[in-house]
Amino acid sequence: MPHASNAEPHRLSAVELARRIEGGSLTAEAVVQSCLDRIKEREPVVRAWAHLDPAQALAAAQASDRSGKAGVLKGVPFGIKDIFDTADMPSGYGSPIYTGCRPSFDASAAALPRTAGAILLGKTVTTEFANRHPGPTANPHNPSYSPGGSSSGSAASVGDFMVPLAIGTQTGGSVIRPAAYCGVVGFKPSYGLFPPAGMHVNTESLDTVGAMARSVEDIALFRAALMAIPYETPAMPARPPRLALCRTMHWDRAQPEGKATLEAVAQRLRAAGAEIVDSELPPECADISEIQRRHSAYEAPRAHAPELHRHAALLSDDLLANGRIAAGRKLTTEDFHTAWRRADQARAAAAAWAGGFDAILTLPAPGQAPKGLGSTGDAIFNGLWTMLQMPCLTLPAGEGPDGMPVGIQLVARRHDDRRLLDIGLWVERHLGARA
Amino acid sequence: MTAANRLSAAEAIAQLGSGALTAEALTHACLARAAERNDIKAWVWLDPEQALAQARAADRAGRPGLLAGLPIGIKDIIDTSDMPTGHGSPIYQGNRPFADAACVALLRMAGATVMGKTVTTEFANRFPGATVNPHNPAYTPGGSSSGSAAAVADFQVPAGLGTQTGGSVIRPAAFCGVVGYKPSFGEFSRSGIKLQCHNLDTLGIICRSLDDLPPLRAALLAGPRHEINRRAAAPRIGLCRSPAWDRADASTQALIERSASLLAAGGARVTEVEFTAPFTDILEHHRRIANFEAARNYAYEYEQHNELVSPVLRDTVLMPGRELPLSAYVEAIEIAETFRRWLDDAFDDVDVLLTPSAAGEAPRGLGSTGDPSFNSIWTLAWTPCVTLPAGTGPNGLPLGVQLVGRRFGDAALFDAAAWVASRLAN
Repeated sequence: MPHASNAEPHRLSAVELARRIEGGSLTAEAVVQSCLDRIKEREPVVRAWAHLDPAQALAAAQASDRSGKAGVLKGVPFGIKDIFDTADMPSGYGSPIYTGCRPSFDASAAALPRTAGAILLGKTVTTEFANRHPGPTANPHNPSYSPGGSSSGSAASVGDFMVPLAIGTQTGGSVIRPAAYCGVVGFKPSYGLFPPAGMHVNTESLDTVGAMARSVEDIALFRAALMAIPYETPAMPARPPRLALCRTMHWDRAQPEGKATLEAVAQRLRAAGAEIVDSELPPECADISEIQRRHSAYEAPRAHAPELHRHAALLSDDLLANGRIAAGRKLTTEDFHTAWRRADQARAAAAAWAGGFDAILTLPAPGQAPKGLGSTGDAIFNGLWTMLQMPCLTLPAGEGPDGMPVGIQLVARRHDDRRLLDIGLWVERHLGARA
Repeated sequence: MTAANRLSAAEAIAQLGSGALTAEALTHACLARAAERNDIKAWVWLDPEQALAQARAADRAGRPGLLAGLPIGIKDIIDTSDMPTGHGSPIYQGNRPFADAACVALLRMAGATVMGKTVTTEFANRFPGATVNPHNPAYTPGGSSSGSAAAVADFQVPAGLGTQTGGSVIRPAAFCGVVGYKPSFGEFSRSGIKLQCHNLDTLGIICRSLDDLPPLRAALLAGPRHEINRRAAAPRIGLCRSPAWDRADASTQALIERSASLLAAGGARVTEVEFTAPFTDILEHHRRIANFEAARNYAYEYEQHNELVSPVLRDTVLMPGRELPLSAYVEAIEIAETFRRWLDDAFDDVDVLLTPSAAGEAPRGLGSTGDPSFNSIWTLAWTPCVTLPAGTGPNGLPLGVQLVGRRFGDAALFDAAAWVASRLAN
């Protein structure tokens, strides 16, 4: 584990960094410098950053070291997906349309960690408008593989020890899937619990701010800052959890290594004392993935009206001609109403079902990351949970045939976010140390 | 002949379409009225040349689209790529957004022009702007969409965009004696609108005639225009005094009771819809959600520019919102959902609810934009709402009646509202 006292600062967890900075054995400047050194070495290959100004980051760290102001993340660096507005860094949303865009304020996902003392290192690469068309980022475990998307740069930078914490967003599978592909911990809270102000809209009824780190404890710390709530360390549950092993209606889309990892983890957790029950989503959720796609498609030509109006030629075919905008133009407002009502029914049924378990154990992605950078992979195991607004946590759990990371996903009843992290801590401990 | 600036949006669109009116002439008439009535202070940005240039461009293009060159006022918490966007706050003085908000782009794509930016209270919350009520400048126009309501009521522009988190579309529209419409939550894109509360903020329309709503709604949905059905059967009306009833003054209580009698006499079946526990406390749950979310969505302003945030916003919204426990917020979110299901069932027996648009006439003075209680309930309910002008109160200022429809039943609400309007007019 990266807790050894001689580890370079960029390898330490956020919890450990905060402890050492508070104790005076590390400075924010030394931490940021260590992250910048790592980035300098690795960025030519990984290409995780859309904006990174080392002088700006160091100046912020020095100011933090001089300031007497406390905070749970004092001196800890973080990255934010370039779909968020920042007052002192450009915001490009992964689109050439927004070259030179300088917002006038910080998104809350930038402002609140900064309030807690964190240092914003830079902006991480997003696919075009947090959609499908990929950016340049490569998977840090092997650059011939996709890091996943749309929060590509956040997942890759955390996975590569460039930064301990990063912010992403999920509309389909854009936090959980890239986190799993890059071998990090990803957390998508219940819809609406992390403040969305300053996040460029993709699909309002789905867009969820999420967090990435390398441990569940770090996620809990980051979460407190992002929600402006008191920080409480996650607690190991008093008894082993009761988990639903949910293969989902999309099991035939899973790759062999995804299936094998999930089954092996279930075995391992059962051996550790967990009660594992095979259980599938209730029938009201049968078409939940299709409902998610409808929401997303319907909103696309409306939310992207500014770009369609003035810069349609600069939109990718992945979004426009072959993508959600074309699909959304075929949907009527009545289709949208129907989808929304179906989602309401599905959510109520899913809440009743999930209430019977401490958490749901399922896949975060079909398997390991796809080869090549042309596609960020399949969100089929994510869209359903996003539409159900349930909190999701992915943990690294194994390797695929090419040595690429494979994860598992834990999901809890909506608004049971805190308990999900406690269960996540238990699962993380029983999966054992990695790296 | 009616002066062009006095035409309703629907009338103007018809004349623009037929060629009886040019966008330039209409915009010119609106600008002349705005200049003459500058003391209403409805606009925070109005550049006559910029407005006329857009109108001339629309005329040159043959006034295409559903809105055919119609000028519209945009509340100044909505981003515009070619006009500053100040959010009613000194923090954003001179702020120039990079792009239009989705709603602005959709209006432009439907052929509308942006006449200018209308005054908003600070961050669409309660600290008032400079706008006065066009019916009597000693009275508030209501808020937070103060400038859009006042400009439309004063014939300075045929339609305006507003937003509602508590009561910021329906209440100012009622105070200024015009039509206000808040759609079902989730319908109009909020991309590019300064976010206050993600579970509440709703974009709405302020105009002078119900007939203006179908084309404007169609433009904002990028969908087809559904005309109001004026041959619909008499609606089943639920008289809903709501948990806020005691806040209404005598003139408003009397107006609602009288309207219910008139509508019953006109052939509607009128029944009473009463809130039951736990929904009698629904305003408290609205307040929790509003404060908790605003305190986090305005994190940058609160943390980085605390001294430029008004004391009233800071002390009565943002600080209490920071202090509210997460569990209290989550409980409010879940009760709100139960409330929506309960209300949806109530609409099995009625087509539309009749309820006050506000507690009374506009309050005197410009220090407060009035009580949003009669609106916050329905903002939280995510139901469509329309306010119709309904005479005047004891001080000679406008009163309104509010009609609430079933969620996603916006078109049916317009039909019922047309029926109600015709009976109340008799």
